[in-house]
Formats: sequence, structure tokens, C-alpha cells
Amino acid sequence: MPTEHPPIPCSSVPTVGRDARIALYRLVLRQRLFEERALALYRQGRIAGSFYDGRGQEAVAAAAGLALADGDVVCPLNRELATHFARGVTTADAFRNYLGRGDGPTRGRDGNMHFGMKTRDVFPLVSMLGDLVPVTVGAALAFKRRHEPRVALTFLGEGALATGDSHEGLNLAGVWQVPAVFVLQRNQYAFSTPTAREMVNTRLAERIYGGWSIPCEAVDGTDAVETYDVVHAAVERARRGLGPQAVEAVTLRIHGHAAHDDARYVPQDLRDVYASRDPVDRLRLRLELDGLEPAELEVIQAEETETVLAGLAAAEASPPPDPATLEHGVWAAPPQRSATR
Amino acid sequence: MTAVTYLEAIHAALADALRDDERVFLLGEDIGHLGGAFGATKGLFEEFGEDRVLDTPISEEGFVGAAIGAAWMGERPVVELQFADFVTCPFDIIVTVAAKTHWRSGIALPLTIRMPSGGGVRGGPFHAGSPEGWFVGQPGLKVVCPGTVEDAYGLLRAAIDDPDPVLVFEHKGLYRRLKAEAPPPGHRTPIGRAYVAREGADATVITYGSGVTTALAAADRLGADVEVLDLRTVWPLDREAVLASVGKTSRVLVLQEAARSTGAAGLVLSVVAREGFELLDAPPALHAPPDTPVPFAPELEDAYLPSVDSTIRALEELLAY
Repeated sequence: MPTEHPPIPCSSVPTVGRDARIALYRLVLRQRLFEERALALYRQGRIAGSFYDGRGQEAVAAAAGLALADGDVVCPLNRELATHFARGVTTADAFRNYLGRGDGPTRGRDGNMHFGMKTRDVFPLVSMLGDLVPVTVGAALAFKRRHEPRVALTFLGEGALATGDSHEGLNLAGVWQVPAVFVLQRNQYAFSTPTAREMVNTRLAERIYGGWSIPCEAVDGTDAVETYDVVHAAVERARRGLGPQAVEAVTLRIHGHAAHDDARYVPQDLRDVYASRDPVDRLRLRLELDGLEPAELEVIQAEETETVLAGLAAAEASPPPDPATLEHGVWAAPPQRSATR
Repeated sequence: MTAVTYLEAIHAALADALRDDERVFLLGEDIGHLGGAFGATKGLFEEFGEDRVLDTPISEEGFVGAAIGAAWMGERPVVELQFADFVTCPFDIIVTVAAKTHWRSGIALPLTIRMPSGGGVRGGPFHAGSPEGWFVGQPGLKVVCPGTVEDAYGLLRAAIDDPDPVLVFEHKGLYRRLKAEAPPPGHRTPIGRAYVAREGADATVITYGSGVTTALAAADRLGADVEVLDLRTVWPLDREAVLASVGKTSRVLVLQEAARSTGAAGLVLSVVAREGFELLDAPPALHAPPDTPVPFAPELEDAYLPSVDSTIRALEELLAY
């Protein structure tokens, strides 16, 4: 890292203990190492299609994933690989999707982070951002109807907040008072469009509370410890029946919208602000200040590197999808007679 | 015999489904206290309570999305859209999320969306449309169009049981006009199966929805030996039933209320042309409204919609070929 921008350590929030900090560190590191590896594969032409990563936003993904309890459900978006990992999705599962393997989460039918896993209660991302806001509200509605102490969580960027779907979903969450949590990934850009050209009032937390009466706290989304504390509290309020909750996590999307976008439109002075706010560096420094020995951090680094490499090896050994199976599963209950010939 | 209307059959199907399965709940605009714009849910709020019959804000994309999320969690939501024309609003979430999720991820979405379609009630361009054709061919969806009292009950019950998203295009013109013996409680009409509503040897009318009663009346008045095939499910299409009837009569008239370049006609005619060409004694015919939105003025709407008289003329032309 450049010496003129030394990392600022994560906050030392007393309610977030050592185990949680280490768990968060493993998650942010796993996403970082996975995405660095996957980006290299993409540039080598070994991953087809497009490539998106969450560099600079890993802490939000990790914090939200870890804040959920067993039985909770989540709809992650483009930049939340650590959320998948926190819910039990493996690096092999994820690599199988990036590589389009036949035994991956979508069996080669969708690529990169466009996947979910039924067995992990993770709903697959769709590209029409905003759509998963009402879907999350509906899952939470099911929990409310059945009096189950479960929570549904999704993310939306400030870009998605401009869609009608987001408004309709947030409005329904409020009207129905369901246990849903919305984590706003305020990463400052929707592709190339800065927040100020997407909306007049750019204070998202104020808008979420003022517009939809959903409590919303703003947090530095590069600080994994603080973000975890705030999202966890929101999740538990929702679980206790206090209705929908939201968190505005402020970050900067360090890379472009996708690998084909060099994000040259992001001004240098904004980049300078975030140079000392790399989520991985900030949390590592926090752990050092907490007294973790360098050897312990090295072990974590080595284990997470191995987790990523082992996942990649497993995915590379996986079979490709069989074109003969393409029409399988279009319907859960296919027509008894063939629909077309 | 207890005679009920098409609308009463729908009401009975909803009430029976609510009684039989606690996972079933209804949501839509004005379906609770009011009982729905057409009365399909009248009294259900009082009988089953606000947890089973949910009034929603005007946000079709939002509450169809919420139904998808609830279905993901294993519930059996039944959505009412106030008019089928309003399916433009949740079109994205139906096609993007409801239709593609099982194929992508194996997550089943047992979701039913009911909507009153069709004209004859002077509804004009936004309250009388037959937009089922937008979903014909969409992988992952099932599209049903009941044309009888029995199927109004049976297709709705089957849709609610079904593990896939099913769009039910009810015909609002039939709601109070069509009356028949009450379907037995628990009756199911299989999704994906057409039905020979009238046996015949000289020509086949392939139709669905409001076309069924029109075709039957035309066949009766014409006095020819006309077969009427009620598709019941327009997607996925029961192509075997289509070809079996074509093989029997060698003359086909497709009748639909949707404008001629939409609806199910294109798919039916392509199956007939590609797979039944050698069975035909005449070019396959189409009787459907012109390619315009549904007009309001009685003079215009009456000219627009297929009638018994116009169907008879279309059949006469086909038989004379």
C-alpha cells in the first residue's frame, strides 16, 4: 500500500468480540483472494462472459452475511461473495459457477456471481437490480405469517434505489411490517453514474427513514467491525418484530462496474480518501492492535489462500454441462406431453 | 343440480383452496374488505382473516415480487391483478424472476397469478385486453385460460397445486354470463391438456377462453359436423391434441379474442403448418380481432370482437375451400 495512505484501523466496538472479528477477517480475505484469482482467470480467458467484483465492499458483504442466523435467508447482489461464503456456500461452489461447470449452482446456465443456492437459503441474483427487494419482502412476509423468528436480508445500491421495484418493495415492507433488512451498498457509482446524478437528496439513510419510515443507520462500510455491529443490531430488531430495518453502508467501488470498465471517471481525490480505507487492511490492522500475533495472521492468510485454491482445483476438475440436459428443469413439473418440437 | 356462474366457481376454488391448505393466501388490490373489483374474493376476508386475504397498495411489481419470495419459502400465494391489462406492471418480475428461477437454481416457485382479461364490457384499451400471448413461449411459465365454469374451478385449483408459476387468464365477460352445474369440490383440470368440447369430422375450431362458447354456438347453428378443441392451457401447448384433431378433420380454424398477431394463434398455426401440413385439406384459417388495442365504443368493440355470426362466416369459408 502507498505509504502516504496508511490504513485506518477498524473501530474497536466492544460488542464485537475476538471470534467475530476473526470470522469477519476470514470472510473479507476469502472474497478478496477469490476475486483476485477469478479476475486473473478472466483475463487469461479461462472465465467467459463478464466479470464483476466487490473490491472495497468486502466488509459489507462479510458483515451482513455473518449477522444472519441459521434459518435466515438472503438475496445477495453483484458484490457480496463474502455473504455467500458466510451462508455456507463454498469456494468450489462459486468457482463452478464462474467456470460454468455442470455440477455448479446453476449447472452452467448462468455465470459469475449470478447464482444462489437453494440448500443455503440464498436466492439467485437477477440482473434487474431492485427486483429482489420485493422478493425479500415476500420471504419475510412468509416468516411473519408463520410466526417464525427468521429474517430476510437483501442489498441494494444507490443505483437500484432509483428503480420503481425498490420503492414498491420498501413501501410494502413498511405497510406489512415484515422482518426484512435492507443493506444499502452506497458505493458511489451506478456503473459510471455518481450518486448526485441519480437523486437530489443523496443522504440515503435520511431518505429511507423519511420516505418509507424504515429505521436506517449510516455506517462506514469499509469498517467491518462497525458494519457488523450495526447490521447485526438491525437484524435482531427485525427478528424481535420491530418491522423492517435498513443500513446505509458507505464505501467506494474500487474497480469498475465490471472488468471491462476501468472506472476512469472516479476522481483521484475520491480515490485518495479510500486509499487508507481498504477493508482488508483496516481489519488486519485492527486484529494486530487487538494483539493477534503476526504468525496467527499468517496462518489465516495461508488457510484462506488454500481454501480458494482448493475450491478452484475442485471446480476445474468438475465436468462441463451436458447440452443434452439444457431443457431439463425449465418447469418444476414439466408438461406430460412435449410443448414444442 | 346447482347452477353456478364462472365467477362463483372461481370464488369456490379460492375458498376451497384456503380451507384445504394453510400455505395458501391471497393478495391483491381491494380483495379484502371490498371482495375484489369483480367480487371474486367476496366474504373471504371475513371468513379467513387478514393473514390469508391481504389487501395491497397499488404496486403490482411489488406484490407479485412478494408472492415470489413467499413461494420461495414454501407458501402458496395466489395473486389477483385487478385487470389482465395491468400485467404490464409486474411483467419484469414475472419474466425475470418467476419464470427463470427454477431453471437457473432448482428453486421452485409455486405461484398463481389470476387476472380478468377480455372484452365485451366496454372496457376500452386498458380494461379489456387479452395479453396472454406475451407469455406464450416463455420457458418456466404456465398459462391457462378457462373457457367453462368447470375449468374456471378446476384450472385454478390445479394452478394453486402446481409447483410452477401459473398465470390464470380469467375472462371477465364470462364471469356472470356463463352458468353451469357446480364443479364437484376438489375437481382439478389437468394443466397442459386440451379438451374436445364438441366432436366433429368436417373441421376443427381450436380455441380457448371466450372462444369456447362462441365456437360451440357457431357449430350448433351452422349444422355442420364441426369439432371444437378447447386448449384450456395455451402454454405449454398440447400439440398432440392439436394434431390429433387436425388428423381427424383436415380443416382448422383458430379462433381467439386476442388480436390476430398475438395470443396463442401463432404457436398453434406453426405447429399445424410444420407438423400437420400433410393432414390438411385447406390452408389453416385464423379468426381473431385486428391488430389494434381493444376499442371502447360499442360499434367499434362489437366489430372488433369475434361473434357467433362472424365465426360462422369464417367456418363457411373454410368448409367451402
